[in-house]
Amino acid sequence: MVAYFLRRILWLIPVLFTVSLITFIIMRSAPGGPWDTDAERRQVDAATLKSLEAYYGLDKPMWRQFVAYVFVDKNSVTREWVCGLICGNLGPSYRQHGRTVQSILFDPPPKESFWQSRFGYSLRLGLTALSFAVIFGIPIGVVAALKQNTLWDYIGLFIATSGISVPSFVLAIFLIIIFGSWLGWIDIIVDSWREIKYWIMPAMVLGFGTMAFTARLTRSAMLEVMRQDYVRTARAKGLAERVVVFRHMLKNALIPVVTILGPALAALVTGSFIIETMFSFPGMGGAYVQAIRQRDYSMIMGTTVIYALLVAVANLSVDLAYVLIDPRIRLEE
Amino acid sequence: MRKLFAILSLLVIASMALAACGGGGGAPEPTQAPEATAAPEPGEVRANVLRINLGTYPDIIDPQVSSFVNEIAHLKLFYEGLTKFNEKLETVPGAAESWEYNDDATQLTFHLRDGLTYSDGSLLNAERFAYSIRRNINPATGGEYASITDEILNASEWRSGVASTCDSVVTAQEAYDTAKAASDAAPTDTALAEATAAAEALLGQAVCTEEEIAAIAESIGVKTSHADGSDCAVNADTGNAYDDADCNTLTLTLAKPAPYFHTIMGIWVAFPAKQESIEEGGKVWWTSPVFQIGNGPFIWTVGEPFVRGYFTPNANYWGDKPSYDLEYRYITDSAVAFQAYRNGELDIVASAAEDLPTIEADPNLTAQHMLYPGACTILIKFGLAAKYTAPDGSTYDSPFLDKKVREAFALAFDAESYSRDVNGGLSTPTWTWIPPGFPGYDPESPLRFDSEAARAALAESTYGGPEALNALGLKLTFGDTPRNRLHSEWLVANYKEHLGVEIALDPIETTTFTAITKDPATFPLLARQSWCADYPDQQNWLSVYWKSTTSFANRQGYENLEFDALIDQADVELDPAKRTDLYAQAQQLLLDDIPSAFGYNTANHYLVQPWVKGIVTTPQDSDWPGSFSVHTITIDTRMSAP
Repeated sequence: MVAYFLRRILWLIPVLFTVSLITFIIMRSAPGGPWDTDAERRQVDAATLKSLEAYYGLDKPMWRQFVAYVFVDKNSVTREWVCGLICGNLGPSYRQHGRTVQSILFDPPPKESFWQSRFGYSLRLGLTALSFAVIFGIPIGVVAALKQNTLWDYIGLFIATSGISVPSFVLAIFLIIIFGSWLGWIDIIVDSWREIKYWIMPAMVLGFGTMAFTARLTRSAMLEVMRQDYVRTARAKGLAERVVVFRHMLKNALIPVVTILGPALAALVTGSFIIETMFSFPGMGGAYVQAIRQRDYSMIMGTTVIYALLVAVANLSVDLAYVLIDPRIRLEE
Repeated sequence: MRKLFAILSLLVIASMALAACGGGGGAPEPTQAPEATAAPEPGEVRANVLRINLGTYPDIIDPQVSSFVNEIAHLKLFYEGLTKFNEKLETVPGAAESWEYNDDATQLTFHLRDGLTYSDGSLLNAERFAYSIRRNINPATGGEYASITDEILNASEWRSGVASTCDSVVTAQEAYDTAKAASDAAPTDTALAEATAAAEALLGQAVCTEEEIAAIAESIGVKTSHADGSDCAVNADTGNAYDDADCNTLTLTLAKPAPYFHTIMGIWVAFPAKQESIEEGGKVWWTSPVFQIGNGPFIWTVGEPFVRGYFTPNANYWGDKPSYDLEYRYITDSAVAFQAYRNGELDIVASAAEDLPTIEADPNLTAQHMLYPGACTILIKFGLAAKYTAPDGSTYDSPFLDKKVREAFALAFDAESYSRDVNGGLSTPTWTWIPPGFPGYDPESPLRFDSEAARAALAESTYGGPEALNALGLKLTFGDTPRNRLHSEWLVANYKEHLGVEIALDPIETTTFTAITKDPATFPLLARQSWCADYPDQQNWLSVYWKSTTSFANRQGYENLEFDALIDQADVELDPAKRTDLYAQAQQLLLDDIPSAFGYNTANHYLVQPWVKGIVTTPQDSDWPGSFSVHTITIDTRMSAP
């Protein structure tokens, strides 16, 4: 068991290496550089460009840049050895002078807690969205299964289908128009993210897809469990319907739901670019989109690596969760 | 299994708590002045705050490093240069009360206003500006606009570390090594050629040692003094002259005559950020309003990255103080910003092309829509130097070497329909180079759209008509993006309609396109390019862009020595009237030469709420309307939404 997880953790290394290599190649072959030269802007002067490129190591051959990014290299301007990804250093941002990618993503503003960092914000939004998905998804799934082929079931199915098929940006602007413009219940401009009311809409929009998925999963798991012998036995013994549903059916039906929570959280934290951009949310997704727009390569790359790490860790946690909650599952040693 | 429910409910509770209070890691306290949001006074329906959506949050707010519009939109609120620009984009006194050039315009002396202070009350003297100018040049700063102050003596030498005065001349071996290293890293033949050329240019040049660079840095043409010319007093404790109140004269020695240089001293690169702030705040000093102590009309009081920036009037500002607070919002999604505007939550937002139908359908919104010319001219440049390949594989010289062909293509460019059909009405047609609203704008142009004259010109050319051109198999090469495709398809259809010339679309990968437009030997036959003003002076439009020695003219293969001579004369002319006249002549010469079809000006387009009064726009305020004259704006706090 322990050996299995150790092996899985070691596997993260080649995964991250491959991710950074692929991102690196794609990024360097993408059009334009950070100081490039839209025809519509003043051209950066050649000497300035040269010194900027020397500082960021962009004047070196491609393979050397990659080695510098992942391992270690000497900066040709400051003449200091700089350790790369293996030391947890995601490199300097090309646009935000003086800041490293990891400090942009993980450092909170001065005197603030970690939760005020960009990663902290995205994590909190992800957790809130996940809570929304679970709180609404599971009851919808349960009701749909218990009232199979009734109006309730169809309503549940409708919500689930629309949650999966309606893109989040459509839903977001739709809700903004309804609640902000027509009904006037909410401010469209967020006053401060310290106030909980502003979290409701982005979390709902972000969590809607996951909620739909959770509802569908719960429904099918419930339907399967309902036909099990032990449920019939419980009913035959004359147990109250409430006890049958909650203690015997739901507990078993929730196993698949719990196992998706890890990846779902990772997906919510990493999949929130559009929502963060639409709601001007100060998280990682918004930073990512901005970095792409400004061609801040090191920022794009660093964020991608972090996303890859999150997804990999989430998948690992699923396997761990299986063992912990379902005693029938044994991992091969 | 109970565990499972416990985990779930814990998760739910924890996440809600987290969302609300931001975790338990110490009570978060505001880093800036706590109360900055003004509430409406009794009898008023709205607060006296101008709420503007700026879009993207700046990556960097540092006068000597920033270069993007949204970044400068911050800086110019709380800093001010030696000069500034009025609503006609004329250069007028800012922190400097007056300035004068010496006889040959190689020395520029600024006299600062008496009693200037920063917003915190501390003294602002000439030494502060000297620091900022040095910082802009200093290669360690790494600003993208460092070269804009190259007119200052020894500035480009310090910046590039290359000077003819240095002893250590680059040897052939060193030049070869540099070229070799560069070519190893070069992915393409073009890059290899560039590397070789760069190495050749280096040969014989003097690269300086660190000691020599330090000496050059000391010798740059920036000097402060008392009004009588005596040296400013250096405080023995601090080692600087920042507390010498009489140190009010700044003399810039220029490497060449530059009678426009006082205009450059009005842009953000010379804004006097405080040395103490920059040193104390470290590399991220610019992120905090605490360190951004400035001398502009506003004070930056609250900075919540990505959420809002709040600015209050600076009581210590020497000039007209704004009568309202100002708030920036950073909503990048134009649909969301538009909804917020309609909800009355924002006072100024940029209008997006997709919102135009809604705006036009609503008389209120139509009345609130401001559309005025911007600071860029988009032009269709004709390739002149390169050879082009016909479908049969033979090469031919550019047909645009024939002036009549150039004339035909310029006259056949239907800029009005281009603005309407391709840009959704968010641009204005022009047939001249310098845009309206800028010094040097001249509506006189021989190049107004005229389909018949265009056909006649083509008939008079050596080609005699479209058939001979069509036989060449002309191609329109462009970087393949959906937007470029739209523009290019329109162009091809336009020339087919008005000239009968058939041009094939030739989409190529965008990096390659950028590369070929930088090399005179491969410059495309037709290329859509543009230029936006850095500072409002003819020099920035004519000398920087069209002189044959500049890369812009050179790549295209444009050279007119008569034009160059006029420009050279104008660039050093001290008499403003004569100078303006020389530039005007040069511009007419350019229009007469027709190196390109002068297409359209970008437009600034905003929605402004009716309670915002007194906005005076200039083409340069592409951040928000009225940003160059903040003191004329007022907010009618008693006015409710219509």
